[in-house]
Amino acid sequence: MDSNLSHRLKARALKLAHLATLFVAMSIICLPGLWIVLNSFRPTVEIMAKPPVWIPNELNLDHYRSMFGGIGEGGVPVLTYFMNSLVISVTSTVIALLVGMAGGYAFARYKFKGKAALFVGLMVTRAVPGVALSLPLFIVYARIGIIDTHFGMILTYVAMNVPFTVWLIDGFFRQVPKELAEAAEIDGCTRWQAFWRVEFPVAKAGIASAGIFAFLTSWNEYALASQLTRSVTSKTMPVGLLDFTSEFTLNWGGMCALAVLMIIPALVLTFLVQKHLIAGLTFGGVKG
Amino acid sequence: MNKFASGASALVLAAVCASFAQAGEFDGITLEAKLIGGQQYEALYARIPEWEKATGAKVNIISKKNHFELDKEFKSDIAAGTTSWCVGSNHSSFASQYPTLYTDLTGLIPAETVAQFVGANIKAATLDGKLVMLPRAQFDVSALYYQKDLYEDADNKAKFKEKFGYDLAVPETWQQVSDQAVFFSDPPNRYGTQFAGKDEAIVGRYYEMVVAEGGKLFNDDFSPAFNSPEGVKALNWFVNLYKASAVPPGTTNYLWDDLGNGFASGTIALNLDWPGWAGFFNDKAASKVAGNVGVAPAPKGSAGARTGWSGFHGFSVTEDCANKEAAASLVDFLTNEDSQKLESAAGPLPSRTAVWDYVTEQAKSDPYRSEVLAAFKETAKTAFAVPATPYWIEATNLIYPELQAAILGDKTPEEALEAASEAVNDMMRENGVY
Amino acid sequence: MLRYKLPPWLLLLLPAIVVLLAVVMLPLLLSLYSSFTSYRLTRPDSITNWIGLYNYEKALTDAKFWAAFGRTVLLLTVALNLEMLLGLGLALLVSKVTHGQRALRTMMMFPMMFSPVLVGFQFKFIFNDNVGLVNNALQSLGITQTAIPWLVDGNLAMFSIIFAEVWTSTSVFAILILAGLYAIPKDPLEAAKVDGCTSWQTFRHITLPFVMPFIYIAMAIRSLDVARAYDIVQIMTNGGPARRTELLWTLIGRTGYVDAKMGYANAMGYTSIFLAIFFTVYFFRKLTTARTELGMGG
Repeated sequence: MDSNLSHRLKARALKLAHLATLFVAMSIICLPGLWIVLNSFRPTVEIMAKPPVWIPNELNLDHYRSMFGGIGEGGVPVLTYFMNSLVISVTSTVIALLVGMAGGYAFARYKFKGKAALFVGLMVTRAVPGVALSLPLFIVYARIGIIDTHFGMILTYVAMNVPFTVWLIDGFFRQVPKELAEAAEIDGCTRWQAFWRVEFPVAKAGIASAGIFAFLTSWNEYALASQLTRSVTSKTMPVGLLDFTSEFTLNWGGMCALAVLMIIPALVLTFLVQKHLIAGLTFGGVKG
Repeated sequence: MNKFASGASALVLAAVCASFAQAGEFDGITLEAKLIGGQQYEALYARIPEWEKATGAKVNIISKKNHFELDKEFKSDIAAGTTSWCVGSNHSSFASQYPTLYTDLTGLIPAETVAQFVGANIKAATLDGKLVMLPRAQFDVSALYYQKDLYEDADNKAKFKEKFGYDLAVPETWQQVSDQAVFFSDPPNRYGTQFAGKDEAIVGRYYEMVVAEGGKLFNDDFSPAFNSPEGVKALNWFVNLYKASAVPPGTTNYLWDDLGNGFASGTIALNLDWPGWAGFFNDKAASKVAGNVGVAPAPKGSAGARTGWSGFHGFSVTEDCANKEAAASLVDFLTNEDSQKLESAAGPLPSRTAVWDYVTEQAKSDPYRSEVLAAFKETAKTAFAVPATPYWIEATNLIYPELQAAILGDKTPEEALEAASEAVNDMMRENGVY
Repeated sequence: MLRYKLPPWLLLLLPAIVVLLAVVMLPLLLSLYSSFTSYRLTRPDSITNWIGLYNYEKALTDAKFWAAFGRTVLLLTVALNLEMLLGLGLALLVSKVTHGQRALRTMMMFPMMFSPVLVGFQFKFIFNDNVGLVNNALQSLGITQTAIPWLVDGNLAMFSIIFAEVWTSTSVFAILILAGLYAIPKDPLEAAKVDGCTSWQTFRHITLPFVMPFIYIAMAIRSLDVARAYDIVQIMTNGGPARRTELLWTLIGRTGYVDAKMGYANAMGYTSIFLAIFFTVYFFRKLTTARTELGMGG
């Protein structure tokens, strides 16, 4: 009885400690982000106040209003940037997934010489730092005239994301038993049909998780975008953030407002697909 | 082939002639432009349609970025050979880096137009005898912003006099700034002053201080000259303030935005800063010191000279532009009297003599604005631009880490200047300057 | 019909190979070439001025370069390990929760939505010594009366950068390790319980070996991506003050774009590429070993 009680007490204490730790951890994760959200609703004088204003006296939409306002009144072509970001990120993610599916399938289903080396070779291309790549890439793009175009950005992001999609999708195809596809082929399907009807549905979760990683990478990329985009025809939102800086000033409140618009779509998307994400990662990466 | 070409040109001619009567001289021409973006700069671009209407040309803004990104882009353009766009934003501190990019405007802009600009600005816009840009109404030199009530407080006055032996008044020398900064400091709630602590910014500040102390940053052949008694004295001004905790401890990581926000937060007593902040500091929605801001001309160093590192934005025409006359006409338009009046109405300083008079006249009913203009006008009289070497920015990148090392106490000022001087010397030699 | 037919695997891999050759390899060859010249951005003709190994010699004999190199290795090691440990802890915490997992998982991934450039600005403001959030909080709570120079002090500046980097990237570890935790079969865990193992023993001998491959995957992914920290560092300190936070990337970025000395920058860039490749290959090796140990095959 006594030991039972102490055991229960101990369990309860552990549970409490667990919740407290979780709370602290989540606070550290969320506070800096929420601080940005809060700042986007506060007048600059309060954001930069000293002594600090902890409980906001005034929340308003001024930063948002001026962001959508005219040029010279704080206006930034947000909608254009948003569309650019969306078109570039979505298209490049879709293409990277298709290329990744083809490549992943090849690695999972075929045996050939130099497979391991080729695999690591593909992976390593992702490791090239953007700062080392941006200028030579710019020169090549400038020569063929695809600077400041959606096409150029999409191509770049496809290349950035392909190694990762190949890798994740490869792992996922591997755990679809080969016999399954073979059985379908015996039943009169072509290899192509067998792929779409049998292997693809099983690998869907893995593809979704590769997709979200690819999307977030493209959505947030800055180093290359700042070099390869120039005007409203292709500037993406991370590059647009810099519109709030000029030689001597920086409009932090406005920047926060744009940041919030940047975070919301990513957040919604992640919330929607995160179930697949977990499932995809569980089988995809490891059982290679 | 020949026939085709002549046929085509005849067609073009016909088109030009047909529409000549109604439209302007540059009908059918499209100019590509790369202009600086940002709130302060973009209001002017709303005037471009007016020019388009008058001349018949079209302006296509193919890039709009902030200053530093634009600099990166210009360098990439030169590297890739993609320089056939026509009009670009330029800056006096950066202009010397692109010796091949921009054309000489002397033949394209009438001499009487050039004469209407402030002489010192035109001089700074002329590199190797080439007029590489026309200045817009974005002239920058720094004056001293201060919190007025600190100087009206009787208690402050008495204590200051007791401690330093002279009356507390808005400082006229950097020695006084030093004394007062120490006096006003009450960390972490208030600091006496602050300074830009990195990149070109701190080198610019150091440069003007060297000049105010009677020294030089470079000799005439661009060999370093700052490793001198004046150079050490100038550096010690920064070092001593940091040691005395009279500046925020993070100041060596500050750039202009941190400085402006710091003064607006009410935690800085004295702040040497740019004209672009004048409106911000006095705006109740942005600044805690609004209504309490005073502005005085930049103080003087021990040699009796004011600090006055200055720069300005302008517009240039590329060497590879196919329609230089049209481009020059646009540049002329964007810097003409009406354009400068429009821009300077929002706060920035003009670079045309007549517009200086105009804005002073306009500000008569506004005491704060008048004070601002008077302070900057006085400082502008003795202002000076950065040394005209293509290696200015590269030199600043060698100098600033050493200045920081001295300020933070990693090195003595003498050691730091010795190291910086040697590095700049090596760099100049390697680049074949001498 | 006599037509040479590509093997199907090559056909399938062709798009990936072509894209990567065009967008990564071609530019890299260009920059490899330029690293042997005195290439200066503002003097395009200087790209033909062959100077052999001069740039490499200059970099490898420069104390500043090695200091930046060492600091980069330090940052990579500390940040990756910290992220791994914190990610593991976070994943364990979240996996034990019974209600609201979906919301918690989304919260956990919150920092992944932040563009590195935004993270840079964010932490620059948070760690500002005068009006920053951290100092304001510490002073309001009465913990300190001084303004702590987070971005200036030799140790604190590196700490602040690592904090920002860890903040953004721990999520990647957490999510991957969480996936690993879900995949652990229940039987061995229950068997351990019956055998009277303590929870530490269970963790050490069952959970950890099982999630190890996931940890290496996360390590490999992160080491591929770690150079994205450039955006963060560049905005927070840009390598300063007095080179206290100078990393290879900030040094290269400044040399290449601001000083316009692209040839020299590319020579240094190549060393940083080798560093990245080394880390990646190392973790891939580890991953393969861990997989083999778990009997998952290579």
